[in-house]
Amino acid sequence: MKRKARAGSKRFDFVDVTLRDAHQCLWSTRMTTAMMTPILGAVDRAGYAYINILGGAVFDVCVRYLHESPWERVRLLCERLETPCDALTRGQSLYTFELFPDDIVELNSQVFARLGVEVLTVYDALNDNRNIVSSVRSGHAAGMKVNTMMTYTLSPVHTDAYYVERTRELVRLKADFISIKDPTGLLTPERGRTLFPAVVKAAGGVPLKLHSHCQSGLAPEVYEIAIQSGFRYGYTASEPLANGASLPATEDIGARARRLGFRTSLDAAALKEIAGYFTCVAEREGKPLGRVAAYDPALYEHQIPGGMISNLRSQLQAMNMEHRLPEILEEVPRVRRDLGYPIVVSPFAQYVVTQATLNVVQGERYKTIPDEIRKYAMGYYGRLAAQPSDEFLERAGIQPGDAVTERPGEHIEPWIPRLRKELGASVPDEDLLLAAFYDKPLLEPLRKRAPQYEFRTTPLHELIRYFGSRDDIEYAHVRFAGTEMTFSA
Amino acid sequence: MMHRPPVAPMRKESLTYEDVLRIVELVKSTRFSEFRLKVGEIEVHLRRRNGASGAASGLQVAAESAAIAPSPSGVPGRTFAPDARLVRSPMVGTFYRAPGPGTEPFIEVGRHVEPDTTVCIIEVMKLMNSIAAETRGVVTEILVANGARVEYGEALMVIGPDPEDG
Repeated sequence: MKRKARAGSKRFDFVDVTLRDAHQCLWSTRMTTAMMTPILGAVDRAGYAYINILGGAVFDVCVRYLHESPWERVRLLCERLETPCDALTRGQSLYTFELFPDDIVELNSQVFARLGVEVLTVYDALNDNRNIVSSVRSGHAAGMKVNTMMTYTLSPVHTDAYYVERTRELVRLKADFISIKDPTGLLTPERGRTLFPAVVKAAGGVPLKLHSHCQSGLAPEVYEIAIQSGFRYGYTASEPLANGASLPATEDIGARARRLGFRTSLDAAALKEIAGYFTCVAEREGKPLGRVAAYDPALYEHQIPGGMISNLRSQLQAMNMEHRLPEILEEVPRVRRDLGYPIVVSPFAQYVVTQATLNVVQGERYKTIPDEIRKYAMGYYGRLAAQPSDEFLERAGIQPGDAVTERPGEHIEPWIPRLRKELGASVPDEDLLLAAFYDKPLLEPLRKRAPQYEFRTTPLHELIRYFGSRDDIEYAHVRFAGTEMTFSA
Repeated sequence: MMHRPPVAPMRKESLTYEDVLRIVELVKSTRFSEFRLKVGEIEVHLRRRNGASGAASGLQVAAESAAIAPSPSGVPGRTFAPDARLVRSPMVGTFYRAPGPGTEPFIEVGRHVEPDTTVCIIEVMKLMNSIAAETRGVVTEILVANGARVEYGEALMVIGPDPEDG
């Protein structure tokens, strides 16, 4: 049945994050390719406009922990999915927190396009858009659309005017889409009511996307404001992998959009199948399901992602200093102000938390300052949102003449000539890039053969796999509608 | 065998994910050695292994973490010369003698240091902290192996007076 859009009817569309950010937030990024392939058919039918399949953490976890080639995953997903695929990088840092030279960033864009990625999504953790220029240009040159993100945070300098200015920069860069990315779920409906219309106006017709997490529990309401303000797309996840530290549920935001009078292309039956499948995978693999978070006012003070607090707590436990966690959380806003309001997102979240911990544990502010924080404060990674405090600059021994003002990519020599020499002229681009990002021993396990992937499944099949995964069951017999199956261990 | 019509019949003949999850919930919440379920079209019969429990993975985690024994936080049984100064770790972290893999160590035993000489790096929560000698003298001993995990306040190096300072 062909659904024809009525002239002038309003639409709201969806970008799926189930295969990327959702499991990054809820399953420590541990969704394997084998967990994705059986349900790709339904994902394709669900009516998403785009499917986000890659991000910095996914790439890194593929290599370090899952021992899967991230390129093979991208290739396979792009091949199997008819819905256009979207891959995200951290701009000049790509998948890590180091800075890479322009030639590596450009080659990465070319490899994406060759593997079938249709949208390159890119952001810089300082919102210094000079750090995404090489990605945007090379993405366009390789034939991809480019979605640029600006990261939302709360501070006296991150005003609506600040984001309007960033939006204008992105329009000048010829971004095909502009997204607001709210990694800690700090947006409120109140702020959305002023921020969203201002950004829509500044974007001058470039379509907007919202990417907000659910830590504060307010994201679904924030999405409603975005829909009403003229945003065209929302990033969402399948229900079992939505909410909590993840993004809102597609099912929920779809229903809200329709209630507001917007048409969507979502297919309820396919969404139900995806949700059922991933709930079964969670059961089999012992992974948590997303839960709606309770509103937590403290989040707006320290702004630290939940995963990082639990990490910090375990580190403090190891030092027998767990009782100092409240002091450290209290020190965080102070350190953040002293550092010129970095956005509390990787890697700057680590900076702020580590410095606050050092300050509290040493009983003296800025007695020890990590080298990366010193470099950050000098502008080595990009422009700061605000000037660091005099106290910090003095303790760090940073003079006005030390400031780095050029684009960070400028101070890095090209790497490709050296890598080609080392690896041989015929080395595939994918291997060359991996060698640029990782030490050799980390890449060894990627040579193993990929498993045989299943590309279809049924609920009965998942039930049997569940029994098979439980090592306490020694005998199982299942009979259903003419199918009979027995196994014993 | 009945001839099947080419179009899916109205009668429910496919198991849904909801059905599966209800069965999973039942299996999880029941202590059983034998489990038989027959609802509508589906029949399940399970037997559980004797004495099996879900605790095995927990034990394994405990064993793994015990294997990474932290290095001692003090230097037991050691006394240092009264004029020796100890460089201590500001935090729990990892001790590195050189700025990067395959590069020269910052200092060796016998080297003269000034208060602002960087003597090592302590990696804390993935960030690198250059540690200064904080005193003038000569490195007389390095107490920790490169790459070792160090405790808060653990002594890393001993710095004695420089004989040339007389």
